[in-house]
Amino acid sequence: MITCKNCLHKNSPGAIFCSDCGAQLSDMDLSTQSIRTDKVIAPVGGDTNIPSAPKPITDHGWGSLHLMESGQILPLAERDEFTLGRVSEGQPAVPDLDLSPYMAYAGGVSRMHALLKRDGKRVILMDLGSANGTYVNGKRLTANVERLLNHGDVVALGKFKFQVLIR
Amino acid sequence: MTIPPNYYTLLGILKDASPEEIKRAYIESAQRLHPDKNQAPGETEIFLEVQQAYETLSNPKRRKAYDATLPKEETDSNPIFHEVLYSRPQLVRMDEPQLVYVLLNLRAHHQNEPFPIPPLNVCLVLDRSTSMKDAKMDLLKAAAIQFMRGLRPEDIFSVVAFSDRAEVIIPAAYQADRQKLESRIRDIQASGATELFQGLECGMNEMRRGLDARRVNQLILLTDGHTYGDEEACIKLATKAAQEGIGISVMGIGTDWNDTFLDQVASRTGNTSRYIARPQEIQKLLAEKFRNLTRVLVEEVTLESKLQDGISLNYAFRLQPETGPVSFGEMTRLGSVLRDTDLSILFEFLVQPPALKPQGTHLLDGNLKIVMAARPTPLPPIRIRLEREVADEPAPVSPPSAILQALSRLTLYRMQERARAESQNGELAQATRSLKNLAAHLLEQGHRDLANTVLLEAENIQRKRAFSLTGEKEIKYATRALLMQEGESST
Repeated sequence: MITCKNCLHKNSPGAIFCSDCGAQLSDMDLSTQSIRTDKVIAPVGGDTNIPSAPKPITDHGWGSLHLMESGQILPLAERDEFTLGRVSEGQPAVPDLDLSPYMAYAGGVSRMHALLKRDGKRVILMDLGSANGTYVNGKRLTANVERLLNHGDVVALGKFKFQVLIR
Repeated sequence: MTIPPNYYTLLGILKDASPEEIKRAYIESAQRLHPDKNQAPGETEIFLEVQQAYETLSNPKRRKAYDATLPKEETDSNPIFHEVLYSRPQLVRMDEPQLVYVLLNLRAHHQNEPFPIPPLNVCLVLDRSTSMKDAKMDLLKAAAIQFMRGLRPEDIFSVVAFSDRAEVIIPAAYQADRQKLESRIRDIQASGATELFQGLECGMNEMRRGLDARRVNQLILLTDGHTYGDEEACIKLATKAAQEGIGISVMGIGTDWNDTFLDQVASRTGNTSRYIARPQEIQKLLAEKFRNLTRVLVEEVTLESKLQDGISLNYAFRLQPETGPVSFGEMTRLGSVLRDTDLSILFEFLVQPPALKPQGTHLLDGNLKIVMAARPTPLPPIRIRLEREVADEPAPVSPPSAILQALSRLTLYRMQERARAESQNGELAQATRSLKNLAAHLLEQGHRDLANTVLLEAENIQRKRAFSLTGEKEIKYATRALLMQEGESST
């Protein structure tokens, strides 16, 4: 039996919400933190400073992510496909690029949030059905539909923003 | 267009099946088809093919080589693709019953051949009982006329009006002279009592005249009142309609109709009821219905299944499209797949301790039968098997977010169901408490207006000792609509 902390109702094992008071039972967290997305995104105009030539991070990288909150640059190298998300305990699938060191949880990033990949010269982004959505230049993507990215596009996973720099 | 079954379809598995799944599928087919115990002609050949399939697929190298020979289209020759999510990776060995949730999604392949949009065969069954008098009747007639104007030349259309008896206003046919027909609708007069069965039966007869597997066949009932004494007959008729490939959906106008009963009628055919609070909205909802009918890719998915011993299903609920309860049986109508909207069903299973077997627990075995109006050849059924391994300790994994989100909203819907049941049983204190809990959750999620409606209803119960007719429908359909939004935003 699982006893609901809120109302002390006894629920069958495996229940996720209390059948009496409706409170969530599992205290394993860890649904992605829900944030309000309506005010999050201000479209970025063309006049923001896009670094005109992305500095070569590594010789063989095909691009990099410029994290707008911290100013850090994450290189995209050694593979053509990255899942973006954050690692949390007890999660079977781990994203290729873990954003949790950069405050991804507070930004509303899902554990498997989006897929970024290179196909020849094209760079493609796809939302993986994330809780808080993926935005390119302020426009929300439809989940599981690919979107072509251009150099300098601003991507937001929830409200976690970065600029995509393509070589 | 008949493609010989490939090794994957032969074993009833998907192309990305794991080695364990391949093995299990093979053992199962082999047991079923083994020549020693099998009589049906032709099955020995199948058995040999199955054997060959297994020999190839169980060897990674040979499997890879075989995959390379499959034509690209073949891999997604089935226009429907299904996906199963479980609330947890394993069941746990214990001596009390436990719950497990399963989310079943059926989706149209994105790049499938452009199927033509199938024509419709629609019958509007209109309630013209006395209670519909005046403005309500006028708005209903106007909406029916609008609906007819929106039809395409290839659609078959009919109209039936009923009170305590039914009459055909427009017989089922391609409608050429629409103007003349419009005046027939305008001439409908309200009078008499509501006898649903009369209307449904007369509507079904019109539906049968235009019935065609290449069409999307749907009867739409619009009513505002209770029927008395013929409920059983209506449900029987709906069951029959489902067998014949006819869907019945219901639109209830105002607060005096019996939503629980009409949900049962509609869900027998994989459809649902909608609530029309004000007659001004009839037209909007009918237009929405028409839009959905023209977006249908798969008209009906039927789950033919048996629950395993020791397993019971607490409920099944369609999250989208057309959110509503699913009535489960040996033949369960799950609903339709739209071109741009998945069919998603959430199941809650209760597993009794004896069903926990060392080799794993089968929850449900069955086939998904797919009726696709736009496709000339029948589709092979999709085998479906819901099962979990049994472990000694629970795995520390949180449920998939899709299940979590759906359940958090479904929990709200079920709380209102529960409050209604409690108030019907005279447990007023319980019902009040459930409503207050519901309001608190709604507030938390930012649905302030609905939370207020719920609190008002809680007060009303204290005073009147029962739900108000308005309150019960408002709250039910508004909490259902929360599920709908969720579904639509995620596709």
